Amino acid sequence: MQSPMEFTSDQQAILTSPLHIRTWAEGTAGCGKSTAAAARLQQMAAQGIPAQHILILLPQRTLAEPYTRVIDSLSFPPGGRPDILTLNGLAQRTLSLFWPLAATSAGFPQPNRPPVFLTMETAQYYMAHVAGPLLQRGYFAAVSLTPNRLYSQLLDNLNKSALVGFPHTEIATRLSSAWNGASSQLRVFDQAQEAINLFRQFCHQHNLLDFSLQIEVFLRNLWPGLLCRQYLLYRYRHIIADNLEEDTPAAHDLLLDWLPHLDSALLLYDREAGYRKFLGADPTSALRLREICPHQVEFRTPISLPPELSTFTHAFASTLKQPGSDTPGSEPAAPSLSEAEVLQCIRPLATRFYPQMLDAAVQEANRLIREEGLPSGQIAILAPYLSDRLRFGLVERLKRLEIPVRVLRPSRSLQEDAYIRCLLALARLAHPAWQLPVIREDFTAMLSTAIASLDLCRAGLLTEIVYPRKKEQCLPGDFSIVNADMKDRITYVSGGHYTELREWINAYTDQPPLQLEFFFSRLFGELLTRPGFGFYNHPAAGEVTANLMESVRKFRQAVQSTVEVSEIPKEFIRAVESGLVSAQYLRSWGSSADDAVTIAPAFSFLLQNRPVSAQIWLDAGSNAWFERLEQPLTHPYVLSRQWQAGDQWDDTREVEANRQTLYRLAAGLMRRCTGRILMLHCELNEQGFEQQGALIKNAAFAFGRIRRLSQNPVPAAPSTEGSDV
Amino acid sequence: MFEPRPAQKRILEYNGGRMGISAVPGSGKTHTLSALAAQIISAGTLAEDQEVLVVTLVNSAVANFTQRVESFLKDRGTLPGFQYRVRTLHGLANDIVSERPSIAGLANDYSILDERDATQIISAAASAWYRSHVEQVEAYLAPDISQNQMWKVRKEHLPKLLRELSVAFIRTVKDKQLSEEQVAEIAELARQRDGFHALYMCASIYGDYQRALHYRGAVDFDDLIRLALAALRQDDQLLSRLRQRWPYILEDEAQDSSLLQQEILELLSGGSGNWVRVGDPNQAIYATFTTANPRFLREFMQTPGVTPRDLPESGRSTQSIINLANHIITWTRKQHPIPSARTALDLPLIQPVLPGDANPNPDDAASLVRVLDRKQEPEEELLRVADSLEEWLKHNSDKTVAMLSSLNRHLEKMSELLKSRGIPAIELLRSTSATRRAAGQLDNVLRFIANPRESSNLASAFTAWRAAILNKEEPGDDDASAAARLRKCTHTEDYLYPQMRDWLADQPLEDAPQVENLLSSFRSTARIWLDAASLPIDELVIFLAVDLFTQPADLAVAHKIAALLRSAAVLNPEWRLSDFSREAAEYTTMERKFTGFSEEDAGFDPSLHKGRAVLATIHKAKGLEWDRVYLTALNNYDFPSGAEGDEYMSERWFLKGRLNLQAEVLAQLDLALSGQLDSYIEGEAAYADRLHYINERLRVLYVGVTRARSELLLSWNTGLQKRSTEALALTEIKDYLVANGIIPARRDA
Repeated sequence: MQSPMEFTSDQQAILTSPLHIRTWAEGTAGCGKSTAAAARLQQMAAQGIPAQHILILLPQRTLAEPYTRVIDSLSFPPGGRPDILTLNGLAQRTLSLFWPLAATSAGFPQPNRPPVFLTMETAQYYMAHVAGPLLQRGYFAAVSLTPNRLYSQLLDNLNKSALVGFPHTEIATRLSSAWNGASSQLRVFDQAQEAINLFRQFCHQHNLLDFSLQIEVFLRNLWPGLLCRQYLLYRYRHIIADNLEEDTPAAHDLLLDWLPHLDSALLLYDREAGYRKFLGADPTSALRLREICPHQVEFRTPISLPPELSTFTHAFASTLKQPGSDTPGSEPAAPSLSEAEVLQCIRPLATRFYPQMLDAAVQEANRLIREEGLPSGQIAILAPYLSDRLRFGLVERLKRLEIPVRVLRPSRSLQEDAYIRCLLALARLAHPAWQLPVIREDFTAMLSTAIASLDLCRAGLLTEIVYPRKKEQCLPGDFSIVNADMKDRITYVSGGHYTELREWINAYTDQPPLQLEFFFSRLFGELLTRPGFGFYNHPAAGEVTANLMESVRKFRQAVQSTVEVSEIPKEFIRAVESGLVSAQYLRSWGSSADDAVTIAPAFSFLLQNRPVSAQIWLDAGSNAWFERLEQPLTHPYVLSRQWQAGDQWDDTREVEANRQTLYRLAAGLMRRCTGRILMLHCELNEQGFEQQGALIKNAAFAFGRIRRLSQNPVPAAPSTEGSDV
Repeated sequence: MFEPRPAQKRILEYNGGRMGISAVPGSGKTHTLSALAAQIISAGTLAEDQEVLVVTLVNSAVANFTQRVESFLKDRGTLPGFQYRVRTLHGLANDIVSERPSIAGLANDYSILDERDATQIISAAASAWYRSHVEQVEAYLAPDISQNQMWKVRKEHLPKLLRELSVAFIRTVKDKQLSEEQVAEIAELARQRDGFHALYMCASIYGDYQRALHYRGAVDFDDLIRLALAALRQDDQLLSRLRQRWPYILEDEAQDSSLLQQEILELLSGGSGNWVRVGDPNQAIYATFTTANPRFLREFMQTPGVTPRDLPESGRSTQSIINLANHIITWTRKQHPIPSARTALDLPLIQPVLPGDANPNPDDAASLVRVLDRKQEPEEELLRVADSLEEWLKHNSDKTVAMLSSLNRHLEKMSELLKSRGIPAIELLRSTSATRRAAGQLDNVLRFIANPRESSNLASAFTAWRAAILNKEEPGDDDASAAARLRKCTHTEDYLYPQMRDWLADQPLEDAPQVENLLSSFRSTARIWLDAASLPIDELVIFLAVDLFTQPADLAVAHKIAALLRSAAVLNPEWRLSDFSREAAEYTTMERKFTGFSEEDAGFDPSLHKGRAVLATIHKAKGLEWDRVYLTALNNYDFPSGAEGDEYMSERWFLKGRLNLQAEVLAQLDLALSGQLDSYIEGEAAYADRLHYINERLRVLYVGVTRARSELLLSWNTGLQKRSTEALALTEIKDYLVANGIIPARRDA
C-alpha cells in the first residue's frame, strides 16, 4: 500500500472526503482509481466500520485483486470480512436465502423444491435438450453454426434480456427490427425465439435457474419485496463498486435504487473502456449513477504512461478519426516527440510466418529478462485471441528458456487431458452395463497413463493380447493368458500392476455402482495414487481428478431432476465427449503474477487492471483486434439499452463500433504499460493467408503522422481533454 | 528495368475508367498489369487507406503479382506492403464476407471447407442415396453390361458418377444463386414426375450437403462467392465503403472470369469506375471445371465506354511456332467442320516483338516442329518420348523441357518411367514440394507415435528426424546403416525403453561409433515424442515440428497442418493418432490448402530446372514456357472435333444410350427454373455439351502449342480403350507443316 505522501491529488480527493458520502470517481485507466478505493477500504476498516457491512461490487471476479490484497492484510474482528461479489453472486446468494418467496412470486410451479442453479455448461446441456430436436427438424438452416455455438448464442440472448431488462419474449422482435440483411434470414430469429421460450418453460417446470433467471428473479421478484430489501439494506451499509463501465444496466439499476439508502458509496468508472460489451456491459448506463453522487472526482493524469506512448496514442487516435463521427481519442494533448523517440517505446516488427512471430516474441522476452534484467512478472505477451495452439507454442518455447509463465485463460477442456481420458476409460471398463466400449487405442493410452512402468510399446503389446477386438463392451483378459515370451517383453512388474488394476475393476463391478464422482474418488485414492501407478506423485493428476469430480457433481445436481439417476453417468460422459461439458477452469500454472511472464488474450489482460513494464503484442495484422465476435443469433449492440427501437444495425454502425473497439483496446493496453511495447505482425497468418488488419495499418499511419509532424511541427492544438472528439 | 513495348505503353497511359485488354500468350500481360498497379500507387493520389485491388486466378499468381508490384515500387521508393491488395476471387470473396459475416448467417470464425472435405461429404450423401434408391439409380444403367462389368460399375463407376454429378449440380445451383428453398421445391417437382430421378437425387443431396455445412459452421468455396455477391447487393453501405477502399480494380486472367466474378467486380468498381480487365480468350480453359466463360470478357470489351486494347506482341516463341499457333486460330475460325467451333479461338494473331526489343523472339533457325506420326498405344508413346528426352537432355543440359498431357495418369506413368531410367525429372502435378516434405515427415513421425511397435515406423521416424538435422544434405552411410538396423529391430521396446535387455547395447557397433551415437541420440528424441503422445493433436504437431523442421516455411506448414488436424478432430471426435496420421498423409497431395508458405508458391519457374524434364498437365503449364515441349496424347478422345466416331468423356459407356447425365440434369434444372420441365427432351443437352467441350479442347491445344519457345514435338496415342484416332486438329497441323515444307510428307520425326 502506498504511503499517504505517495497518493496523487486526485486520489487524495477521495481519501480526504468524509466517510459518509457518495463519491463518483472517473478517469481513464491507469490513473490510480482502484488504488485509491482500496486505500479507502482500509480507511473504513480503520474507522471501525463493521466489515460485514461493506460490499465490494464488481463486474467480474478477476478485478478483485486490489481489494483482496487489502482485506488479507487487515485483521478483521470476528463476524466477517467485506463481501466481494458480482451481481450474479449477490443474486444467487439472496435467492438461496429467500427461495420459497421468490419461487412463488415468480410463478415456479414447485416452490417447495429447492432451486437448481445452472452453470454455463449445464445451461448449455439443457438448451441442447430443448433446441436439439428443433435442429433435427430443420430449424436454423439459415445460419452456419456448430450446435454448441448455436446453444450458447440462444442462452446469450436470454442473459442479455435479463441484464438489459426487457422481456425475453421480445428478443426476436428486437433482432428482426434491427436486421438489414436478406429478409429470408428473419425467420431464424423467430426460430431462436421459439427455442428460448421452450427453454424458459422447461426451466420453470424443473426449478432450473440459468444465469438469466437468477438475475431476473432476483431483480423482479426479490429485491422489490420488503423482506429481501430490508435484509440487504441492513446487511450492506457501504458499497464500493469498481469498473462500473464493465457492468450491466441490471447492476446499475440496482445501485440507482440502493444508493440513496446507503451510508456511503464509492463508485469508480473508467473512461474509454467497456470491454465487456459483448457480455452486456454498458458504460452509458453507468453514467446515470454519476447524477446521484454529490461528491465527484475526476482523475486526469495517467500515473505512469511514458510520453512516447502518449504521443503514439494520440497519433493513433487521429488515424481513426473520420469527419462528422464520434471518434475516439480523449487523450490529453500529446508531447511532441520524433518518430525515432517514439520507436524507442513502441516498435512494430514484421515476420513472414506465424512461428517466426512466436520465436520473435519469446526472444524479446528472453532479451528483456537476461539482458535488461526485467523481472518476468513485468512482461506480458498479448494476443487478440489465445487459442490452445498459440498458448502451447508460447509456453513450450518459454519453458525451453526456463522462463516462468502464467496463462490468463482457462485450462484445456476435460477430454483433452490425458489423466481425464484415463479416468473416463476406466469408468467405462468398470461399468459394463453402460455399453460404452473403450476404443483399443484409448485402452493402450489408459494403460500407459495408469501404470507408471508401462511405456507405449509395452502397453500396445499388452493391449494386443488382453483386449479383445470386439466392438461391444468387454472386460480385458487376465495377464495369465499372456505367453511367457511376451510376459518377458512386457515385464512381470508391469504385468503385476495390470493385474492389480484389473482386479480392482473386477471387484468394483461385483458391487452396486457408485455415483460417478465417488467412483473416481475411490479409483484415485485406492489405486492410481499407489506407488507403481501413474498418478502417484503427480500433483497435476490430483488437480484434474478433483476438477473432474467437481464437474460430475455439478452436472448431477443440475440434471437429477430431469434425468434417470442410472443414466446420469452416461449422460455426463456423452456431454464431455460432445464438448457440451468441458469444465474448463483457471489453473494457477504454478507461478504467481509477480515472477512469471503473463500470456493472455488482450481483453483478459485489460480486465486484470495490472500494468506491466513491457508488452509484446502478437498478430498485430489480425482483424480480431477490432472486429466484434459476430454471432448470427444474437447482437450485443441491438440487445442493449442504448439501442433505439426502429434503428437498423448497418455497415456504418459496424465500422464505427470496430473503430471504437480498436482505439479503446489499443489505448487501454498502452495505459497499462509503463515501459515499452513490441508490436509483432506476421505477414501470413497461421492459415497462410496474407493479413493486414486495421491495428498494424493504423499504427503505420500513426508513425507516418508523427514523422510528418516532427518534420513540420504545427502549433499546439487546443486540448481535447475529457471528451470524445 | 522494365522497358514497355509500344502496346504495353498504350496500356500504361491508362488514367481511369474501364479498359479491356486482349493479350496473346507471352505478351507480358501480368508484368504490364503489375507495372500499372505500381504506377497508380506511385502517383500518390490514393488516400492513406485506399488500395489498388488486383484480382487474379490462382494462388500462385497472387504471390507472383505481389513480388512484381513490390519490385516496381522498390524502384520508386514507396512504402512496401501497403496500398494494394492481390487476391484470387475466392480470397476477395472471403475478404468481403469477413467484413460482415452475420449478414450471411455466419460467425467470424466460419470455416472454409476445401474441395476434398466437401467432396467427402457429398460422396457420403450420394452413397447413402444410392443405397436407399438402388432401383431408381440403376434404371439409368445400360442393359448390356456384362455380369463381370456390373460388379465394377456398382462398386466404382456409378458411385463416382453420382458424386461428380452432385458436385456439378451443387456448384451450378450456387452459381445461379438459388436459395435452399428453391432447390427443395425443384426436388419436390422432380419427385412428383417420372423420368427425373437424377434431378430429384441431386437436389436432395444438395439439401443434405447444405445441412452438413451448417452443422459444421462452414461454407465451401462456391458459397464464399455467392455470399460475397449477396452481401454487396444487400448492403449499400458496405458496398460504398469497399468502393472507397478500392478505387482501382485490375483483373488478370479475365478470360476465366465467371458471371458471378464479373458481377462482384462490376459492383465494386461502380457503374463507371476504374476497372481494367486483361485476358486471353484463347486461353480460357477452365469452363469445364467452373462456370467461367471467355464470352464475358469478349462482351465486356465491346461494351460502350470500355477502352479496348490489344497486347499482340510476344517474344516467347520462334516465328515458326508463332506461325503454327496462328494457323490453329485461322483454321479454327474458317475451316473447322463444326460451325459453332469456329468461335473457339479469337483474334488477334500473335505478332513477334519489334527488332531491338529487350526480350526478342528465339532465333527461328534453331526452331524445330515435328509430329510423331504413328499409331501407338499410350505406353509406346511414353517410351518414345522418354527415348527422345534422354537423348536430347544429354546435349541440352542448359535448356528447359517439358512433357505436357491432358491426363495426370499419363504423366504419373511417365514419371515412373523416367525415374526407372535415371532421367532427371520433376512433376508439376499437385502440391508444392515444401508441403509434401513437411506433411510427409510429420506423417512418418505420427505413424511411429501411433504404433511404436512397428520397426518400419521406427525407421521412418528416424529418417524424418535425420532429414531435419541434415537440412537438405543427402544422408550418409551412417544414416543408412542406422536406419537399416532399426528396420530389423523386432522388439522396439528393448531399444526405446530397455529394461531386461538393451537392444542398442547388444548391437555390434564397436567399429561404428557414429552409428551408435545416432541411435542413442534418436532414442532420446523418440522417447520425448512418445511422451507427448497424449497431447491434443494440434499441440503434438507443433511440439514435433520443433524437432523436425528448421526452415521457416516448413514450420509454417506444420502450424497449418496442426490447425487443420485440429479442425478434423472437432469434426471427427472418434479419431485417434492413426487416423490423424492418415489425414496428414493426405495433405501431401493438396495444393490449395497450403499455398502461401513456400517460395515455390510464387509460381513455378522453369528456368530453375534446366536439364530436367518437367511433367505437367496443359492446365498447369499455363503461363509457363520451355525451350522444348512434348505435346502428347493428341487423340480424338482428348481433343474431339465432332466427327463421326469421336467419343466423349462425359458420355459414360455404362449408362443407357451413353447418356451424358450431368448435362441432362443441369438442363433439367434450367427447365425446372423456367417452369418448363415438361418440355425436356433427353439428349439435347448432351449435344450442346459436346460442342462446348470441342471448343474448350481447341483452346487447350492452343495453350499447349504456345508453351514452346523453340522446339515443339507433337504425338498421339490410341488411348485407354485402344481405339482412339489422331485428333483432327493434329491432322490439320501435319498438313500445314507439310504444306510449308517444315516436315516431309508421311515421315516420322
